[in-house]
Amino acid sequence: MIKTENLTKRFGRLVAVDRLSLEVAPGEIFGFLGPNGAGKTTTVKMLTGILRPTSGRAWVGGHDVVAETLEVKKRLALVPDEPFVYPKLTGAEFLRFMADLYQIPWETQKKKIPELLEMFELLDWGGELLESYSHGMRQKLVLAGVLLREPKILILDEPMVGLDPKSARMVKEIFKTLSRRGATLFMCTHILEIAEKLCHRVGIMIQGRLIALGTVQELQRQAAQEDRNLEDIFLSLTGGHEYSALLKNL
Amino acid sequence: MRAFWILLYRRWLSLKNSLVSQDFWAWTKKIFFGLAGLAILVGLYFGFVRVLNYLEGVSLIGSLLSWKLTAMTLLTTFSMVAISGLITAMTTLYYSYDLRFLMSAPVPTRFLFLDKSLETAFYSSWTLALVIFPYILALGNIKSLPFSFYFVFSGLFVPFLALGAAFGIGLSLALMYFFPSSKTRDVIWIFSSLAFACVYVLIRYSQPEKLIRPDALEVVADYLNYLQAPTAAYLPSWWLTKALMAYTSGNWAMVWRQAGLIVGGAVFVYLLLVWAAGRFYVTGFSGSQEGVRWERGLQLRPSWEQRGFKCLNLPREISVFLSKDRKTFFRDVKHWSQLLLIMALVLVYLFSIRQLPLETPDLKSFVSFLNIGIAGFVIAALSLRFTFPAISLEGKSYWIFKSAPLNVRSLMREKFLFSVFPTMFLGTVLVGFSNHLLGADVFISSVSVATILLCTWTLCGMGVGFGALFPRFHVENVHQIESSAGGFLYMACALGYLTLTVAVEAGPIRMYFMERMGRAHPWNWNWIIFCVGTLLLLNAAAFYVPGVLGRRVLENYEGD
Repeated sequence: MIKTENLTKRFGRLVAVDRLSLEVAPGEIFGFLGPNGAGKTTTVKMLTGILRPTSGRAWVGGHDVVAETLEVKKRLALVPDEPFVYPKLTGAEFLRFMADLYQIPWETQKKKIPELLEMFELLDWGGELLESYSHGMRQKLVLAGVLLREPKILILDEPMVGLDPKSARMVKEIFKTLSRRGATLFMCTHILEIAEKLCHRVGIMIQGRLIALGTVQELQRQAAQEDRNLEDIFLSLTGGHEYSALLKNL
Repeated sequence: MRAFWILLYRRWLSLKNSLVSQDFWAWTKKIFFGLAGLAILVGLYFGFVRVLNYLEGVSLIGSLLSWKLTAMTLLTTFSMVAISGLITAMTTLYYSYDLRFLMSAPVPTRFLFLDKSLETAFYSSWTLALVIFPYILALGNIKSLPFSFYFVFSGLFVPFLALGAAFGIGLSLALMYFFPSSKTRDVIWIFSSLAFACVYVLIRYSQPEKLIRPDALEVVADYLNYLQAPTAAYLPSWWLTKALMAYTSGNWAMVWRQAGLIVGGAVFVYLLLVWAAGRFYVTGFSGSQEGVRWERGLQLRPSWEQRGFKCLNLPREISVFLSKDRKTFFRDVKHWSQLLLIMALVLVYLFSIRQLPLETPDLKSFVSFLNIGIAGFVIAALSLRFTFPAISLEGKSYWIFKSAPLNVRSLMREKFLFSVFPTMFLGTVLVGFSNHLLGADVFISSVSVATILLCTWTLCGMGVGFGALFPRFHVENVHQIESSAGGFLYMACALGYLTLTVAVEAGPIRMYFMERMGRAHPWNWNWIIFCVGTLLLLNAAAFYVPGVLGRRVLENYEGD
């Protein structure tokens, strides 16, 4: 469903993504991990046609992200890292806007929009301007906009940020259900616990390079830390224990 | 008090860093705009010199006339600063981006209020202060006053402006205390804009040019008593006028008395405001942070744009964005304020056209033709404000478009459609009504209306094209988009385009006037065909070239 081959993105002298090659199968939830500035969001932007790769290729749903951008965009749904929405639209109007953009039939919209608003506990807020929504509410609305389209490929950049525990639990269940129905989920996250429990496979990126790829068990073996959790593996691979000396001085 | 100095120090650091971080292009732009501003001020100075020279030359009442004009000018300035202060205070005192942080810091509320009040006073008065500067220079020159006059004026003008701004600051403090809601800001914005528009229209309707027309002198003489009477005696504008008058006559006692009123008044008012802020500011601030529930219900019906486009079998995605843009445009109260000001501009424009002292029908028709250029300039300026930023105003929500299965061409077409019809309507009103008021003949009226329709079409196309060519999605407000390099280039190209349009049409128009004046066989048809062809080519180039270039830039856009 998602495939990259030596995918590279440079910004001047900075190599944000360096020869990334990976494949995500239908029905798979793939966790994409890495410290801040590792190149995760740049990868997401290339997969969704927002950025053009400097070199290498990527396919989403069998379509080349550069040559067949519109076909790719028809098939995927994006949840960006910041849920920027139009502040002067109401929640319901935003969902209608998204549905119209993706040509969802009117009868489906009429049925599904109130259902999704209710599911995310936004029904009472559906007629309110988005400028009065909190970050978490906007995040839920963007997720509702994605689910409205029943997409086969979801690209999720930190989808859990700002969600309350109840909504986060529900969203995790939704992702599992979508996966069981054959949808591909490509998820960037900093919450390692979620990645550990939800993802079939994870990839760890640092300074633009994919340094580890596989199931959590495979990563444990790679890091020679069989009894450790994903957080320990992540920190050992990315050098995250360096702060311990600094902590002593606090 | 230390907290207050820290607050002021951060302003100094911001100013210093913004100056140091400017690149070559930013400096070039600043110097260019600075020189353009200076040229306008010099032009204003010579205009004021001419007016004041004439007034001073009127026998018996010359000096009275010039002081009356000074009093009226200062009164207008004071009113404008007061209204501007109210609008600015609503933002600086309640919605500045740094307030949430500062309010949570251990800074006494009164110091924070004073810091924000000084910011308000500065931003609401600096442009007006700049415009008054050439007037005072002209006054000093005409009355042959010594250099110390400017020192006295400068010393009193700063507290005078502070008093004007204090009115807006105090009113906003009171309004937000009694009506602590974010809706108060919207209501104040609309009413302040209405007040601005009314002051602007009333100043023009009072026909100040009559003061310098000889045929009005008899009337002026009749109102000698009116001229001698104070203009709004209880307002600081009259105190300042009196101080300046007393200075020119060497009455130092009066100068000190008026100076005491102005400076003492400013100190007293700000002390009072700071005291009141300690009691009322936090209540208003807290209210301003609360959201207002809209409660419109779900409203899931298709919009009229979508229904219309479906009936006409036009692209659905364009109607979706049109509907979104209409809603977001009219729900933003700042746009209502701007629409009110545009209405005032149109009224003043048409009134000024009506007042033009034109005697012959030929002259009226000729002015009607030249009016294409002026109306075109107004349209270009409005396009710079509304059409050019349209794509950039998608802002941080641009990801929605970019990740959707839409092409850039559709978005550009939608932005064009959203702007072009209101702009064409406005162009037709400006030119059509001007023709009617001038009594222009049918031929010139038809040519000018057709030309302005063509110009608005092209200017909107250029606006969208340049907007795509220079997108800026990560800005805090629309003024940063307008004043960008792209905005400057758009305006320069728009003015060049308008100049060429008038120049190309000048040939056939000249032939028409020659025929009216009785010249035999004035029409050179080859020349006319050449002019029409050139005009069409010019419009096609102005419309398509920025559009095609802009589309390419937007398709490859990867961030600011």
